[in-house]
Amino acid sequence: MSGQRLAATRLQWWGSLPRRRCAATVLVAAAALFARPAVAAATDAAAEAVFEKEVRPLLVNRCFKCHAGEKAGGGLSLETRDGWAAGGESGPAIVPGDAEASLLMQAVRGDALVWRMPPEDTGPPLSADEIAVLARWVADGAFDPRVATASIGGMSEVEAQSWWAFAPLAATDPLGGPERIDALLNAHIAEAGLPVAEAADERTFLRRATYDLTGLPPTAAEVDAFAADLSSDKTLRLIDRLLASPDYGVRYGRHWLDLVRYADTAGENTDRPLPHAWRYRNWVINALNADTPYDEFVRLQLAGDLVRAGEPREALNEGIVATGYLAIARRFGHDIQKDRHLTYEDVIDNLGKTFLGLTTGCARCHDHKYDPVSNADYYALCGILESTRFAFPGCEPQGQPRDLVPLVSAEEIAAAREAWEQHKATYEAAVAAQAATAEAGAGELGDLLPSQPGPEPVFPLAYAVVDAEPTDVPIQLRGDPEQLGEVVPRRWLDVFGGEKVAAEAGSGRAELAEWILAEPLAARVIVNRLWQWHFGRGLVATANDFGSRGEPPSHPELLDWLAARFLAEGGRLKPMHRLIMQTQAYRRSSLTRQAAVEADPDNRLLARFTRRRLSAEELQDTLLAVTDRLDRSAGEAHPFPPESTWKFTQHGPFEAVYPTTRRSVYVMRPRQRQHPFFALFDGADPNASTPRRETTTVPTQALYFLNDRFFHEQAEALAARLTAEYPPPPVGGSLAATRIHQAFSLALQRAATNEEIELLSVLVEDTAVDEVAAWTGLARVVLASSEFLHVD
Amino acid sequence: MTAPTNHAAWTSEPSAFARRAFLRSTVAGSLLMPGILSQLHGDDAAAFDPLAVKPPHFPAKAKQIIFLFMTGGVSHVDTFDPKPALTRDHGKEIKADHPEIKNRPGYERIFLKRSQWEFAPHGQCGTEVSTLFPNLAKCVDEIALIRSMHTSHSNHYNATLGMHTGSFAFSRPSIGSWMSYGLGTHNANLPGFVVIAPQQTYAGTQVYASDFLPGSHQGTLVVPGETPVANVVSRIPMPQQSRELAALTALNRRHLGDRGGDPLLETRLRSFETAFGMQMAVPEAFELEREDEATLSLYGLQRGQTTGFSWQCLVARRLVERGVRFVELIDTGSSNNWDAHGDMKTHVPLAKNVDQPIAGLLRDLKRRGMLDETLVVWTTEFGRTPFNNTADAPGREHHPWAFSSWLAGAGVRKGIVHGATDEHGLRAVEQPVHVHDLHATILHLMGFDHERLTFRHAGRDYRLTDVHGRVVREVLA
Repeated sequence: MSGQRLAATRLQWWGSLPRRRCAATVLVAAAALFARPAVAAATDAAAEAVFEKEVRPLLVNRCFKCHAGEKAGGGLSLETRDGWAAGGESGPAIVPGDAEASLLMQAVRGDALVWRMPPEDTGPPLSADEIAVLARWVADGAFDPRVATASIGGMSEVEAQSWWAFAPLAATDPLGGPERIDALLNAHIAEAGLPVAEAADERTFLRRATYDLTGLPPTAAEVDAFAADLSSDKTLRLIDRLLASPDYGVRYGRHWLDLVRYADTAGENTDRPLPHAWRYRNWVINALNADTPYDEFVRLQLAGDLVRAGEPREALNEGIVATGYLAIARRFGHDIQKDRHLTYEDVIDNLGKTFLGLTTGCARCHDHKYDPVSNADYYALCGILESTRFAFPGCEPQGQPRDLVPLVSAEEIAAAREAWEQHKATYEAAVAAQAATAEAGAGELGDLLPSQPGPEPVFPLAYAVVDAEPTDVPIQLRGDPEQLGEVVPRRWLDVFGGEKVAAEAGSGRAELAEWILAEPLAARVIVNRLWQWHFGRGLVATANDFGSRGEPPSHPELLDWLAARFLAEGGRLKPMHRLIMQTQAYRRSSLTRQAAVEADPDNRLLARFTRRRLSAEELQDTLLAVTDRLDRSAGEAHPFPPESTWKFTQHGPFEAVYPTTRRSVYVMRPRQRQHPFFALFDGADPNASTPRRETTTVPTQALYFLNDRFFHEQAEALAARLTAEYPPPPVGGSLAATRIHQAFSLALQRAATNEEIELLSVLVEDTAVDEVAAWTGLARVVLASSEFLHVD
Repeated sequence: MTAPTNHAAWTSEPSAFARRAFLRSTVAGSLLMPGILSQLHGDDAAAFDPLAVKPPHFPAKAKQIIFLFMTGGVSHVDTFDPKPALTRDHGKEIKADHPEIKNRPGYERIFLKRSQWEFAPHGQCGTEVSTLFPNLAKCVDEIALIRSMHTSHSNHYNATLGMHTGSFAFSRPSIGSWMSYGLGTHNANLPGFVVIAPQQTYAGTQVYASDFLPGSHQGTLVVPGETPVANVVSRIPMPQQSRELAALTALNRRHLGDRGGDPLLETRLRSFETAFGMQMAVPEAFELEREDEATLSLYGLQRGQTTGFSWQCLVARRLVERGVRFVELIDTGSSNNWDAHGDMKTHVPLAKNVDQPIAGLLRDLKRRGMLDETLVVWTTEFGRTPFNNTADAPGREHHPWAFSSWLAGAGVRKGIVHGATDEHGLRAVEQPVHVHDLHATILHLMGFDHERLTFRHAGRDYRLTDVHGRVVREVLA
């Protein structure tokens, strides 16, 4: 492993596509790495059966007492083929094919020249049958599959080196348009003989694309404009318009916040508010809107404070705020300092899953059982975190927050403080002097006083991290912080080379970011997410697990092509969206016959588009949008109670729901008591990385559409809008039909059919209360409809 | 929409007038849920309704299940499986090819570790239980205790998933969903499968997911608290709500028809009917005020209390009383649970949390005659090792080789112990019962041949027990 491998595979986050053109050929051919080792020959199978059934138990029961483990008797280990082949002090124990010449046979038979085995004080001699088993086995060539393989965690080194997800990207030319993607997809569809769904109609496509990139429905004006546009590149212009919208960052930022389990509270026993965490949330949204290259996006979240050190204040602040990714880690227990090993686990688990699709958190108590992550690897990363000072949110026994990172320089703070203190001192002195004068009975009060000083100056703070004293940490045996083992130097995962943090390098966070980004895995993981965000299912369905327990890619060649293209695009997401959304696959209808669905229930092959329910955020935002009450401005800090008043305890934890009419990404999301709306509609779990939203369909959701206060308020608002915009008397035509059309246009982006108008007119007519009540009923029906809630 | 509609009912009406009359009759408000779907689906109502009551394969005493799941891995040798030899051999080194110690640094050598709790025989039957469960110990005459449980995985996630779905790796329908699928529900106004849990277990929502079974069989999660089920109070008069629901159903049905009967959309349509009924049924079912003091004290519940396992147990009784098929109660979540790596003493508060409530539940069901038709299952995902890497290590590790579960109630033999572990509680040696066998037995008690309760998905018939499972006849009455 180590240096050599890294040199061969290290990713380059190249700039623009043309520059990448010449680099295409540089990519190492790695197709062979996807091939599985050849299956053992049939004769081996028979020999293996003999070995497993007869020989192995015999060796284990009769020999291992001494000839196994670290202190193998006489230096002979019978645990592996290599062990007996190398032999002990007396030489090789077995000569395959020659039982007579084999020391092992001589020993078990008690031949005069060697020690009888097993020795008398250890056990009785082998029976004639047992000796015969061994003799036959040796004579037949001593088949022994037990190879002494070095392993990393739960994988042998050999297996780990050839694991598909870690391999260099397959050599591929990253050029070409959406047709390249379609070709790769269509080959599999044709092979499976699946019927391909026709293209979705324009309105469906517009609605799909708009929700996909902005989390909102298209407006009526956008529907009309799209329909009226007869140009050939209208699809591309639509995509570009949506990508340029600030709502893109809201939607894709939310995807990222799902992964990093963003929350506005700390999660420890009192679930304290994090009043400054919002800066990280907004940074994510802004960074995606700016199409920040992915490598920079990752680098800043792990080490923004370090890589932007020395840059102008604004750039530095961005770096500091981005490390909120680390700071928002969940805090645990009563005294969070005592349980910080759990916070480190939360971070290691999250960064493994988020950036690499690896379940690294599993290695806290023991080596990973299935993937090449060792217990030592875990503590190597843990050292990097221990060398980092995390903002402290406070906790019941440890008082109020501290260690937040100011976003103005120490000098500015000092200067401002000094000025304020001087002002205060001057003022107080003046007051005292006047008082003295007044006491002496002379002069007028107030005339000569300087202005009263304001409150002590406050400075913007980030819930972020900075480097602390670099330190390596010992393994915590079985994850128990009280039982310490060997100290592990801070370094990268062994499987990826195990490079150490240089002595003068500080915590190692900046190195960690580069190590992550150097892996082809990092590119595969993010393009797979991108694919999933568009199609509902990743090419690797287990988006957070590219290890041996995850699912293999459905289209490995497409995954690698996308990764190569992504690098060629300089790690920018927007060109990738543009590419993927122009494919035929993305344009396909979701209306298919049940037979086609049954042939590919998970829609792995994408012969159709997968219908989806709106996410919790989309539902809430759409309800506000169709009633024209959505506040499009970015949310900032939450209205938490002032820090000075905090007296939260485990029995009286912080708990609140703050209503807002902003985009729901800005809603305050607590950790311990999930926000009820997001819990009901399968929102992300703020305690664990959520790679994909589940969709449950339960009666409690139907109850929301029947009786929820917020839902009813939106229906009332929509009714008010309908009745205000189209007041009686009607100017020709049916007023009811006009209003129903308008309701459909706002909520469903289409005109109502005659049947629908009839049905709903009857509903309105029969609601013989007052006009607004009648139209509110209609609004409830439209807003609760399945069409409203689903994207085709 | 470009796709053809396979739903022609609206356009086949002979005249506009007749159609209007038809629509009016649908939306007129005289028609109260839950009749709407039957009305709209006509003769197909039963075929359409995945929750219609269906007979099992053969008559069974058990009509409903209360499934008590203790998350994290309860130590068998400290609770239901006394091991004098473990005490005698405390500190003795053993060898074991155990999944939790293989290649694990610090675990080259392992030593037996005794229990710190005393065991004593209880009841007529004399079943031994440790002092961790003083109240439950008094109920042993109702219980068929299985001391020879074993499972296929030593990870929380996989073992929890396995205990709920029979699959140790993939998402599959949970046992509650299978029951709902097999039997339907007696009460259309409540979900057929309810999970009451303060937090999520290691396997998250997969514990109660319907997976490929129709979505109506998915468990409805109730989180204990002041408002366990939100939005059950209607904000508008019932006739108006009925009219709106009828119109909504008509719109949704058309939408569904255009989409080839997408099961998710169909489930959603159906969920409104249940929701409508829940407005009446839920407040009544969760209204514990009417319970008398004697009942509350049986469970150890304070009046007005809306959380805790005692509350969960009493609500469970009330739900099965009202026809809910499967109620699962989960005691904790994926933290602060029975996963006592660090110290076995953490079992004390966890046992105390459930001991009296479960005993109270059994007594309450019995005195109401409900135990004769309710199956109560108590289990965890795996046991805990009777050894550790030092005899003085205060905790125990995950142990898939042996653990204890018990059954009580309808169709269950009373006061017996089935199976046994070896002298140290290391392996289930006598009449071992795998998780698949437990599932087969539960299905049998509910009237199902576990090999015949199947669902065709992606080209093959799936069942809860996959290709495994053997009914443990010894625990049947």
